[in-house]
Amino acid sequence: MDNIVGKKPALLWAVHLSVLALVLLWVLPVVGLLVSSFRTGDQIVSSGWWQALSAQEAQQPAIRIAGTEVAQDGVFAISGNLYGGKGGAISAWGTSSREPEAHAPGDTAELADGLRLTVQENGDFSLTSPASLADQRLPRVFTTASTPPEFTLQNYRNVLFSPLAGQSIGQAFLNTLTVAIPATVIPILVAAFAAYALAWMEFPGRALLVAFIVGLLVVPLQLALIPLLQFHNWIGIGKGYLSIWMAHTGFGLPLAIYLLRNYMVGLPKDIIENARVDGATEFQIFIRIILPLSFPALASFAIFQFLWTWNDLLVAMVFLGTDNDKLVLTGNLVNLMGSRGGDWEILSASAFVSIAVPLLVFFSMQRFLVRGLLAGSVK
Amino acid sequence: MHPALQAILVILGGVGGCVGYFYASNLILDKVLFPARGPQAGRNINRANLVRPWLFLAPALAALTLYLAYPVFATFWRSLLNQAGQFVGLANYAKMAHEPKFTEALGNNLLWLIVVPAAATGFGLLAAQLTDRIRWGNLAKSLIFMPMAISFVGASVIFKLIYDTREANLPQIGILNALWLKAEGGIGSVLILQLLPFALVVSLIAGFAYLGWLVLRPLWRRRDETAWIRVGRVIGAAVAVFLVIELASWAYGIATADLPYGQPQAWLQIPYWNNFFLMAVLIWIQTGFAMVILSAALRGVPEDTIEAAVLDGANPFQIFFRIKVPQIVGTIVVVWTTITITVLKVFDIVYAMTNGQWETQVLANYMYDKLFRAFDWGMGAAAAMVIMALVTPILVWNVWNARREMR
Amino acid sequence: MKRMLTASAATLALLSGAALAQDLVFPVGEGAFNWDSYKAFDAANNLDGQTLTIFGPWRGEDQVLAESVFAYFAAATGVKVNYSSSESYEQQIVIDTEAGSPPNIAILPQPGLIADLVKKGKVTALGQETQDWLAQNYAAGDSWVGLGSFAGPDGTKALYAFPYKIDVKSLVWYVPENFEDAGYEIPETMEDLKALTEQIVADGGTPWCIGLGSGGATGWPATDWVEDLMLRTQPADLYDQWVSNELPFNSPEVVGAIEEFGWFAKTDANVAGGASAVTSTDFRDSPKGLFTSPPQCYLHHQASFIPSFFPEGTQVGTDADFFYMPAYAGKDLGKPVLGAGTLAFITKDSDASRAFIEFLKTPIAHEVWMAQKSFLTPMKTVNADLYGDPTMKKMGEILLNATTFRFDASDLMPGAVGAGSFWTGMVDFVGGKSAQEVADAIQASWPK
Repeated sequence: MDNIVGKKPALLWAVHLSVLALVLLWVLPVVGLLVSSFRTGDQIVSSGWWQALSAQEAQQPAIRIAGTEVAQDGVFAISGNLYGGKGGAISAWGTSSREPEAHAPGDTAELADGLRLTVQENGDFSLTSPASLADQRLPRVFTTASTPPEFTLQNYRNVLFSPLAGQSIGQAFLNTLTVAIPATVIPILVAAFAAYALAWMEFPGRALLVAFIVGLLVVPLQLALIPLLQFHNWIGIGKGYLSIWMAHTGFGLPLAIYLLRNYMVGLPKDIIENARVDGATEFQIFIRIILPLSFPALASFAIFQFLWTWNDLLVAMVFLGTDNDKLVLTGNLVNLMGSRGGDWEILSASAFVSIAVPLLVFFSMQRFLVRGLLAGSVK
Repeated sequence: MHPALQAILVILGGVGGCVGYFYASNLILDKVLFPARGPQAGRNINRANLVRPWLFLAPALAALTLYLAYPVFATFWRSLLNQAGQFVGLANYAKMAHEPKFTEALGNNLLWLIVVPAAATGFGLLAAQLTDRIRWGNLAKSLIFMPMAISFVGASVIFKLIYDTREANLPQIGILNALWLKAEGGIGSVLILQLLPFALVVSLIAGFAYLGWLVLRPLWRRRDETAWIRVGRVIGAAVAVFLVIELASWAYGIATADLPYGQPQAWLQIPYWNNFFLMAVLIWIQTGFAMVILSAALRGVPEDTIEAAVLDGANPFQIFFRIKVPQIVGTIVVVWTTITITVLKVFDIVYAMTNGQWETQVLANYMYDKLFRAFDWGMGAAAAMVIMALVTPILVWNVWNARREMR
Repeated sequence: MKRMLTASAATLALLSGAALAQDLVFPVGEGAFNWDSYKAFDAANNLDGQTLTIFGPWRGEDQVLAESVFAYFAAATGVKVNYSSSESYEQQIVIDTEAGSPPNIAILPQPGLIADLVKKGKVTALGQETQDWLAQNYAAGDSWVGLGSFAGPDGTKALYAFPYKIDVKSLVWYVPENFEDAGYEIPETMEDLKALTEQIVADGGTPWCIGLGSGGATGWPATDWVEDLMLRTQPADLYDQWVSNELPFNSPEVVGAIEEFGWFAKTDANVAGGASAVTSTDFRDSPKGLFTSPPQCYLHHQASFIPSFFPEGTQVGTDADFFYMPAYAGKDLGKPVLGAGTLAFITKDSDASRAFIEFLKTPIAHEVWMAQKSFLTPMKTVNADLYGDPTMKKMGEILLNATTFRFDASDLMPGAVGAGSFWTGMVDFVGGKSAQEVADAIQASWPK
């Protein structure tokens, strides 16, 4: 294929540029989330993520003076740094919400009760008072300052190690894998046999069966949950791993059969017919020829089914149950969020924690997605 | 027993059981029931071949019937009952047809059904074709695929960060508004925000008009087509005409719009257009799916057909549209179908971002609303039946495609 | 994977002690708690080896607090408690009860949903004894009995749900120092509050921050406003009739309350960002306007949970405070208080389930949570000195001073209205439709 493009560097450049544009468009939202996951909740809601890397000149939230009081010659003094030494350059400051920019750095402001406050450009302050300030409400300082970019790993620490969720994330990872792997492998195998029959065996009603399966793809999950859970309770498996494996298998089958059948139909006809002429049984054809040739389709379905079971919360809650020791990763992450939602910093960090495994699966399966190698060898 | 150990046993048992079932049942069929020996060998082979497909299909059909077909019938039956469980015939459907929210949802769903599969398949095909040709293609693919791995809830958060709106005097945290506020109505903004989209829409109009013409033309040129294909062509052309009219109204709107520069926009609250902002989320997610499947199909296109075209002096565009695309039409149908079905079922995005307010209701969310907010199971079931009915054209297309393949 | 497991295990080991949920936060016998009640309950109940599944709405920090209470139940009875929650717990509870594998105890904030489950026969009645207990031991006990009573499958009304943990909604939040800087006083009457609103506008400021945005639930903060104003313009029995739709939604009384809300939210000068910003501002972002400089707004109407969305480090009581949303001096309607809360009910009967309801009757089940954070209770026998911070105590006083207490109407109405057309109607109202138009639409959506 390269030889077509290779001769036309202009076209090649166009391809590079359009792929770059496409990738940027697709990645930009994720980058936003990634950057946000390293910021505090306050930062996320107070400035755009694309500004996170540059120093910001902005009105800062009010900072209340705090520190230990030192008494000297009848004057009580508190000094320290407004930003806790994190850096920042003040261009104006004030102590009233009405005039937040009343003073320049280095100025001394006279407050009520004889308090005097001086704030330097780097945020150092000193507050003096003729009377003790103990047990008194200390003044607020409003600053307009440029602050250096600041990132935190706290969100990830919260997601990975917080005891809030009731169990360790390691256990949740293990539970999710326990759910996802059988729920990926079993439907593939069952579907592969069915797909082969639908693709290469002659029997009446074949096209209708295909239509039946496509029709089942559209069944809304919410409706199937109650009758199926009733059924599981009735046959006595109730809620548990067996229950969720069966449920995921049932829900995943239509797409699996549909994708695999479509792929198998496209396999070269002569190989199969030659094998039949040579006296191979259908079972042998399936195992020796169809399965190896269908590897790309099996791999791609495996990826999708794995993603779906990995990201699922609803089916897990209904069929696995809600016991703490059976909690899946999504359930664990949801528990970290407050009752009223909107914890963007937790959401963003947890999105990246849960995305890690599916991406790993995709990367490792990617080389199996190529059919060229196998198809070339049989020609 | 530890669940992880249990899982390994299930995998081994499941795989072994499945293979064992298929192997043993085949063996019994061939050796015991209809042995290919003796006086009736020929008849027995035929009989065995008649039964065998059902052996292969049995486990899958059993699971499908139990897990999906049975709930469908249960749902259909439920849609004929009222809230208290008495039989009311089609009253739920009649009631639904009179609800403005339902008609709104139906209209929006049709819009989704046209835009999302088309855009996701189109972008997916583009990405698959382009990334196959460059060295960092696999990296690019992984990046475009990444949204697939994000849950719908995660995706809704991401897009909330994009569509967020703040008052004009506050710093915007939504990137769309930040970019929008950069435009101040000068010649540059007119060029980018009006002239460029106008040109794009006009070229789309031309494209759809041409496509419609291509679909319709054989109607009087070829007399040998069956009535069904002719009906299909008329429907296809009608869709194209609808799109051309719709897009023409867009073009008119874009050309005459007086854009409110300098005012931050609440994107999800602008009726009609907010649907497209919601669709963007699903397109963003589903393109990776389309790309992966189509890229595998593209790589399966036999090399010799391409080489022959190169020798004939075809340019890359001709090779793509005349040689490659016709050979992967089957896969395109599959991708289109799958995304269409995802569109019909997806409610998480609408639920999390607007919950159908500001005229963005879709059927799946309407159904959810009836089921779990109003606890009206009859109405919810009726809405589900409508969703399933909407898939019929796709069903017909797939049957037609499957028949053609088998010939 | 393995390394990560050990790493997290190590961290957990470090954090354990105070952090692990099963430990008792307050050692038995220490402090001013009603330990006698705990010891009596401990002695009376021995259910070793049983398990109790509880499904509730609390997640995150709230979940930790709830589990700290359940730990006492577990320690006293020997029952293993499994608490879980989900972001779609309403859906979950419906599926589980319908399919026949419900949790033992469900805790929900929506009486409307509980009513539906009770009607379908999925909930076990709590009995006369519990009803009498509530009437005697909760302040304004009869109103709580009324809240937890629903019509069963056969149509007879009985107590099915036990109210536990209350939120006060009639609060207005403000920054005391901003009031001092501008020289404003805390209004004692609704007339004063309206005058203050006009005063702030005249001074060139913006009085209110109102944000209705909440993703799919956008609009709900406005329902609190309308309910509060309904209680302040109409007598409480009209409020009850409104909830049950005996008073139609589009009657002049309700339309009047909606228009009253419009006076605050639909006047551009009264709200930060103008009326058009009200629907697009998220309710979680909205209070942040109080803390900017110069302040974007001076007042914010929201329930007692809102401090979780104040900027990090904000001290309630110093940096921010609240006052009771006052009543009209001109109308003789007393001091009504609007609230919300959660109700516990038995979805699968067992000894442990019954014991859990008994446990909720002990003062200790309330004191352990209130001594920590964000918990209000109408139970009279608890030691009010135990409130973890003065803010909670002040809210407790609002509850006590209330002449009328009413539950959030939108939670009591049928889901199609209370979690549907009421929300969307409020969005339409702020977006420009008239109060009458919106009320007509909501009334039309009321299930018959």
